Amino acid sequence: MAAVAEQVTSTGLRSAAVGRNPWALAWRRLRRNRLALAALGLLLLLIVVCLAAPLYAHDVAHDGNVLGPNLNGTTIVGGKVVPVMQEGGGILKLGETPIGPTWDLHHYFLGADNIGRDVAALLLYGGRASLQIGICSALLCCIVATIVALIAGFFGGLTDAILSRLMDVIWAFPVYLLAISLATELLTHSNGIQIGFLHVSATSLWTPTVIIAFIYVPYVYRPVRGQVLSVASKEFVEAAIAQGASNFRLIFSEILPNVVSTVIVLLPLMIATTILTESALSYLSVGVQPPNVSWGTIISDGQDLLYTRPWVSLAPGIMIVLTVLALNVLGDGVRDALDPRAKLRVR
Amino acid sequence: MRQIRPKTAHLTGRRTTMATLAGLAVLALAAAGCGNSAGPSSKPSTGAGSAHQGGVFTILANSSFGVADPAQNYTLEEWQLLIDTHDGLVGFAKVGGLPGTKIVPDLATSIPIPTNGGKTYVFHIRRGIKFSNGQTLTPSAFVTTFDRQFTVPGPTSFYSGIVGASKCSVKGCNLAKSGGVIANDSAYTLTINLTAPDPEFMDQLTLPFAYAVPPNTSLKLTGNNVPPGTGPYMWKSYNPNTEAVLVRNPYFHVWSKIAQPNGYPNEIIEKYGLQVSDEVTEVENGEAQEVFDGDQIPSDQLSTLNSPQYAGQVHVNTLTADWYMALNTQRPPFNNLQARQAINYAANRTAYVKIAGGPSLAVPACQILPPNFPSYKPYCPYTTGPQTTWSGPNLAKARALVKASGTYGDKVVVDSTNDQVGTELAEQMVSDLNSIGYKASTQLLSGSVQYPFVQNSANWSKWNVAWSAWYQDYPAPSDFLNVLLGCGSIHKNSDASPNIAAFCDPAIQKLINQAEADGSTNPAKAAALWTQIDHMDTQQAPWVDLYNPKQIDFLAKNVHGYEWNPQWYILIDQLWLSK
Amino acid sequence: MLTFIIRRTLWTVVVMFVITVVVFFIFFKTPGVDPARALAGRNPSPQTLAEVRAQLGLNRPLLVQYGLMMKRIFITRNLVSYSDQGQLVIPEIFAAAPATLSLVFGAAIIWIVMAIVMGVAAARLRGRIYDPILMILALIGLSAPVFWIGQVANLITQGGLHNSVFSWVPPLGYTSFTVSPLHWFTGLVFPWITLSILYIGFYARVLRANLLEIQTEDYVRTARAKGLSERRVLLRHTLRTSMITFVSLFGLDFGALVGGGAILTEVVFGIHGVGFLTWQALQNLDLPTIMAVVIYGAFFIVLMNALVDIAYAWLDPRVRPA
Repeated sequence: MAAVAEQVTSTGLRSAAVGRNPWALAWRRLRRNRLALAALGLLLLLIVVCLAAPLYAHDVAHDGNVLGPNLNGTTIVGGKVVPVMQEGGGILKLGETPIGPTWDLHHYFLGADNIGRDVAALLLYGGRASLQIGICSALLCCIVATIVALIAGFFGGLTDAILSRLMDVIWAFPVYLLAISLATELLTHSNGIQIGFLHVSATSLWTPTVIIAFIYVPYVYRPVRGQVLSVASKEFVEAAIAQGASNFRLIFSEILPNVVSTVIVLLPLMIATTILTESALSYLSVGVQPPNVSWGTIISDGQDLLYTRPWVSLAPGIMIVLTVLALNVLGDGVRDALDPRAKLRVR
Repeated sequence: MRQIRPKTAHLTGRRTTMATLAGLAVLALAAAGCGNSAGPSSKPSTGAGSAHQGGVFTILANSSFGVADPAQNYTLEEWQLLIDTHDGLVGFAKVGGLPGTKIVPDLATSIPIPTNGGKTYVFHIRRGIKFSNGQTLTPSAFVTTFDRQFTVPGPTSFYSGIVGASKCSVKGCNLAKSGGVIANDSAYTLTINLTAPDPEFMDQLTLPFAYAVPPNTSLKLTGNNVPPGTGPYMWKSYNPNTEAVLVRNPYFHVWSKIAQPNGYPNEIIEKYGLQVSDEVTEVENGEAQEVFDGDQIPSDQLSTLNSPQYAGQVHVNTLTADWYMALNTQRPPFNNLQARQAINYAANRTAYVKIAGGPSLAVPACQILPPNFPSYKPYCPYTTGPQTTWSGPNLAKARALVKASGTYGDKVVVDSTNDQVGTELAEQMVSDLNSIGYKASTQLLSGSVQYPFVQNSANWSKWNVAWSAWYQDYPAPSDFLNVLLGCGSIHKNSDASPNIAAFCDPAIQKLINQAEADGSTNPAKAAALWTQIDHMDTQQAPWVDLYNPKQIDFLAKNVHGYEWNPQWYILIDQLWLSK
Repeated sequence: MLTFIIRRTLWTVVVMFVITVVVFFIFFKTPGVDPARALAGRNPSPQTLAEVRAQLGLNRPLLVQYGLMMKRIFITRNLVSYSDQGQLVIPEIFAAAPATLSLVFGAAIIWIVMAIVMGVAAARLRGRIYDPILMILALIGLSAPVFWIGQVANLITQGGLHNSVFSWVPPLGYTSFTVSPLHWFTGLVFPWITLSILYIGFYARVLRANLLEIQTEDYVRTARAKGLSERRVLLRHTLRTSMITFVSLFGLDFGALVGGGAILTEVVFGIHGVGFLTWQALQNLDLPTIMAVVIYGAFFIVLMNALVDIAYAWLDPRVRPA
């Protein structure tokens, strides 16, 4: 998606706020941005609520496992015991419809899904997976991209040419199609992937995490490399070279600290992007695999129930919008704080 | 047979992507009697009275049946059309109910008694029949038909018993030369020689693979051009992305009302690429006549069909098919009989039935043979109530058996397809396994990968429980008991090893061989033996049998004369339209 | 300029080549994938398998296999689908293209018009409450998963209100323009809106920032000093300048969408375009189809990128050496 890329590029290239203590300065600016603070608050709240999923699950659990099917279960609505899956009516009695929202926090608040699971509890567990994948893949992506960008930007010449062209190739693939191709391949290997002695099972949350991180590497690489190039030509780096500093020292103690702010500006926007991508892949059934759930898988399951039980897909969608919106607002705030001269601003 | 429909486009249809394994089921007994057809059974005279003729019958399908060459296609979706455009030497009577299970002569004048120790069949072919391109039918048409079984890659195993078949390959085949299929175009006879007697050969000849095509038909795949046939209709066009159109065959005349009656509609159109929910809406509105994907109707819409308004338009019929979880008998824990029985006691079949759409669309099962099948006698040792039908799980007994087997706490991998129903069934199985102390997890694969995957012995170490389904090919108990659980059905390192459980009990196999041998000499004794084998297999618990599915047909208000044929299900050209 | 075009074109060709190699290896050379097995039918005998393998050239050297595959995709265009051997993959993709193009073109018109209106309005109304409101709206558009918006649209137009307010909306699916222009249009209205929301949000933000940036440039100040009206300045000078960024962005996004990026919208609305085709292929693990779509999609994107770069270089000579 060029949209993402450009957003990233146009923010990334301009962030060289140099002050006496730029971080303290930035923090002070961020604290003054009430909208960004509200977004941060909302984000923290969402994370805490999702982390607390087991507590809520304990409250609504039918037989100790909210993530397992409860097709034969019952619940209480208005003091009466009713089945979670309700048989069709008429003479033919075709079909089984899950119970709808009861709006009773302890009994199927948002109703049940296709196999009788409590949607409200799933929502919290799904949030854990979505947030975990989003945050981890964004971090992984930023770390890998930064390392590659440091190497390319610092050594330049052939190294730079090769690495940049490699990134161009990844960049050239349609984002979702590349992710789908990779996921299809990895999921077909029912035994998962073996990277050295590290084993990732196909149904692990790490499969989508790694895929998503991989496809966005060029999108972070480009702005960071630009930044590395501009920092590498600065006087203080040349001074360090003159002093005979090793390449390692040059990269990690001279250049890296000066590109970190670019990466930090990108991070919230990348998390927003990765969360959206995770939900899309899960919707297409190549993301999070059962028994794990994520907001995307719940929306996908809800598709069948859209007209009779719309809350199954409405609720996780609202959660995604809230989370991503908070991340985007926060991202704008962080950028404004770290780079007050940035021209692309919300306010 | 197990089929995977070539394309499982979805949206809402994911609910039962794999229920599309709709196979052709066949059965011997009282299929019509057990289907609770809600519609009024107005019986037409099966000769297509001209009063009812006319109109266009439109079928709506989510996806096409793939390549149309009859030598290769193995889907009920095309077969339901091929029976109206082509004929074989013999065929199932084209009527509803019990009589529909009878094999009658079609292009042959009679059903021959085999000679040469059951190895030689001589068919007399009817004269005066023409293909839809005007060519006259001659016995040599069948030489081409059988040669094509081997030159067009397909499920060749059905006819591999013909003399000379072993020399055939995709490169070429000449059964006439090798003496397997000999046509005499002057005497109008066709002789087929087998390498060994096969009591099921006549059944296999009823399948559309063996339908006559003109002798000059290419031995290569004809792709989506269907070669001309002799039936009352002919293929005008087929485009897997849009539609198939069948129009009347101008050269057709009725030669046997029971084998190939004339049809009612003037045109049959099957449209592809619709969402199942839209199919239902269009048929509700009378804009089309039939919903092909009844098994994929979203639960949302199933409930609307319960309305009395549609009562006469919905037909539900039992299929002779099994949906089951095969237990890997080659690996712990399920190489242990007690462990296998334990999960059979624990499996909550009510839950699986709910996944299938509720008790009106599936019936819980314990044993291998489906109800209404030859040699079927109700038997269910794995329940609390009387041991004939399933009434509820017996968790206490299951837990005791797990303890006794020493497999408590073992890890178990449940392999299934990654569509919605496959996933749900696997998750319920995981829940059942966990409830008796196993540590179960799922392994979900794409539908087209999962079936070969679980069959191949190379993957035995990767799963313990595997979902599968079987719709029978023809009404013989061996089609379940020998094909799915016989020692001879285990082919190591092959993707085509239908005995997924890799279950082989020498004592039972001895009985199977006995029953096969008795089949032609002493059918009554063989039938009793099959019943015994079914119950013995059930006791050995190589599977957790889940349920027997039912077929749901939804037709427009203007469609009349619905009947349920146990072999082909709906007989499209025998339905007539009111104006 | 000419050397730039030549260099850019050469590079485009190299990228395309690398893409085909990568895709070939992802799909045909990973262990566990046996194309012969998929093509040999349901219950193939070992010798059938061997013959099919030979037919496909799978026993040939890797380079020859790659060559054969590329020949099937680009020259003879007779690559066969796994799920249906009567089906040729490439014609299928081309048959699906009109639906995708209809969807993307319509959405593009909506998002350009809406983004310009919102971006300009926000820039003009800077300092008033409307600016942040418009920008928050844009952010919400950026934050909602497109398939979920599609579901909500379906819920509204196909659900309870389908028999009243939205009775003019046909059932989900795509009607070809040649079959019925009216159905083509009514069926695409909500997919267009759904697909465009993300881009409206994004382009409006970019445009607004761009406008504000240019307003401080000298020539705009000069124009203002000359006494031109604010509106004239905006239309004649600022907006025109910021269109360069806008158009180059548009080229990239348009390429990405046509190259398969519209898959989610197509799936949720049942529009049988290129994305939907991929989705179906995914369900059946029909590798040739997925592979062909990925290659053609990537080619389209690479091509659009190259065109945008060349156009950009032509408009703005400063970037040429890049």
